Formats: sequence, structure tokens, C-alpha cells
Amino acid sequence: MSTKSIGAEYLKGLWDENPVFRQLLGMCPTLAVTGTVITGLAMGLATTFVLIFSSLVVSSIKKLIPAQVRIASYIVVIASFVTIADQFLKAYFYPISKAMGPYVPLIVVNCIILGRQEAFASKNSAGRSLIDALGMSSGFILALLVLSTIREILGAGTFLGYQIMGAWFKPWTIMILPAGAFLTLGVLLGIALAIERKTMRN
Amino acid sequence: MSLSSRMIIVLTTVGLISGGFLAGVAQLTKERISLNIQKEIEEAIVEVIPGTTQNKKLYQEEDFTIYSGQDESGSTTGYAVQATGIGFQDKITLMFGIDDSLKRITRITIIDQKETPGLGAKITDWNAFLQFWEDRDASGQLTLRKPPAGSLEDLLPSEINTITGATISSQKVLEIVNLSLEKLKKIISEGKIAVEGHDVN
Repeated sequence: MSTKSIGAEYLKGLWDENPVFRQLLGMCPTLAVTGTVITGLAMGLATTFVLIFSSLVVSSIKKLIPAQVRIASYIVVIASFVTIADQFLKAYFYPISKAMGPYVPLIVVNCIILGRQEAFASKNSAGRSLIDALGMSSGFILALLVLSTIREILGAGTFLGYQIMGAWFKPWTIMILPAGAFLTLGVLLGIALAIERKTMRN
Repeated sequence: MSLSSRMIIVLTTVGLISGGFLAGVAQLTKERISLNIQKEIEEAIVEVIPGTTQNKKLYQEEDFTIYSGQDESGSTTGYAVQATGIGFQDKITLMFGIDDSLKRITRITIIDQKETPGLGAKITDWNAFLQFWEDRDASGQLTLRKPPAGSLEDLLPSEINTITGATISSQKVLEIVNLSLEKLKKIISEGKIAVEGHDVN
């Protein structure tokens, strides 16, 4: 059981236990849908929805589930919320849903979600799990936004589809290709580690 | 209660509740999703046959659909063919418009594709690719121009510009259109759909 204060429970997801930069979870969507800010943001919000509701359900029914079938039960719960998110995007945000392709259904296997159920929601109260889910989602959205902003500006010269670089700017096509995702993530992880080392030394 | 029966009961219950819940959500969103798809196709038809306000589905088989377009007075403005074929990465679904004498491709639009972003995905870009599909001669097979010509006027009427760095994606789009043209002409010459007084050659 976690004994942190509510504020610290939320804030840990933003930096100390940031799912992308610190835990290296959810790498597949992080790399795949951060070519543009809008798809990165949509992925972040869809994941937030799934994480919050899965955590609430899992933490509420944790005592009823035998340990042997807990993972299977979590997956069924997660898959249900992912399907709801997918249907919702298809119905109300069709172009975004098309742009994200298969990556919305793939939220089912996003390790951040299953990881939080196993590491947190299955051991803590519903209220605390909600705060944890909000913190982790915020951290995930933050990471996706940083990554997609860098990639969209360098790769296409735009931000949220608006041209922000002058005519002199030649887009770096590699940044919107998969290789650009790996390069950007690698540099960001290096920076995160450097900051961590520096703060630890002080 | 034994552990195994408890495991079975819990998993079954979780599955049943989820299933019921999802059936409800599917029911709620089904209509809107099919409306979205229908709207996308209607917009594509208007885009590829200029002056069209209404359309009719004339023929359908797997990965191949023919629509006819009408203007406000009800006279035929042309035909739109929606076809799906293999691209470089995944399937490409496109639609092209053809005039009612089946001699001229008016325009083309890409409905769905998963080509390489920044390279093959340029098949959806007007300046890089789609503009070179205006008013193409549809009496025979279309061919690719490589290296690409600078403007539409420099191309032969039966030529399409290649996208630099995405020859295969360009080629695949061309193949889908060429195949569909043949299919369209065959279907009309066999009289499978009612098209008045057309000389198909």
C-alpha cells in the first residue's frame, strides 16, 4: 500500500516515475504515433481514458479476483475500455482515428496500463488508484507532446498543422520516419538521465 | 468454494459484463461510424467528378465499386470508381472519376493508405502527385513518367508523374487505376450495368 501524500502520488508520474522517460514503458505508441502533435495528443488522451477507468475498475474489484487469474481479468477490463475508446474515436473523430491506424486497438498491450494495474491499482484504494492513473497519464501525455513537437517541427516545419518555420526551412524527412522517432527518444532519454544524475549529485 | 470454480466464475463474470457493455457501445456508435464512412465516399465522388451533386451506386464487387454522378438536373456527370489494391506497405483505397464517354479520367483522390510518411504518403498530396492526374486519357493504359516532368502540360495525356523517392507507391496507384479501367470497360461492355449508348473502346 502506498503511503505517499496525494500530491506526491500525482506528481511522481510526471517526473520521478515518468512512464516514458524513467520507466521506459509504452515505447511502441511513443515511437509510432508521435510524427505529428495531433496524433500524439490523441494517443495520450485515449490512453488516459483507458488507464483511469481500468485503474478504477481493477482497484474496486481487486478483492474478488483470485491471484491466478488476475492478469487475464485485467486484460479483459483493459480491452473493453480500449474498444470503447476506439469506437468513440471512429464515431466522433474519424480523421484522427484513421491517422492513428492500428495503434488505438494496440493500447490493450501498452505496458503502462497493465503495469499500473499490477503494480498499483491491485494493491491500493480506488481513490489513490485514480490519482496514480492521472499522474501516469499526465506523464505519458507530457512525453508524447515533447517528442511529437520536436518531430513535427523538424520533420514538417509545422506545429499542430500550422506552418511555423519560414520558407528557408527544409524539413528533415527522417524525423517523421521511424528512425527519427528513435533518434529523438534516444536524445531525450540521454537528457533525462543527465538531469537525474545532476540532481542526485546535489 | 474450490479455487478452480472461483477462478472460472470470476473470469466468466468479468467477460460477460465486458461483453454486454461493449455490445451496448457498438450499438450506440454503429450508425455514426457508417455515416462517417458514407460521408467520406460521397465527398470523394464530388471531388473526382466535377459538378456532381448526387450519386448512385451502380455496381459492387470485392474491392471495386462503381458510382455514377448526377448534377442537379439529374443528367449524368460521369462515373466514379472506388478500388482497393496493394500498395508499397499496405492496401491503398482510391477513387477516380471518369467522364461519361469513358475516355478521360477527370481526377483521382486517395481514400485510405498507409505508405511511408513523407515519401510514399505523398500520393495524397495535391502538389506532389494528385494534380498530375487531371484530365488523363483513359482510352488505353496509363504510364509513369520518370524522372517526373515539371508541369502537367509537359506530360503526354496518358502519362502520370512519378513522385521522386516514391516510385513504387506511384507505380502501385497507377496499377490499381489501370486494372480498374480494364474492369470498368469489361463490365460495361458485358452489359452488367445499365449505361446508355456507350462506345467502349
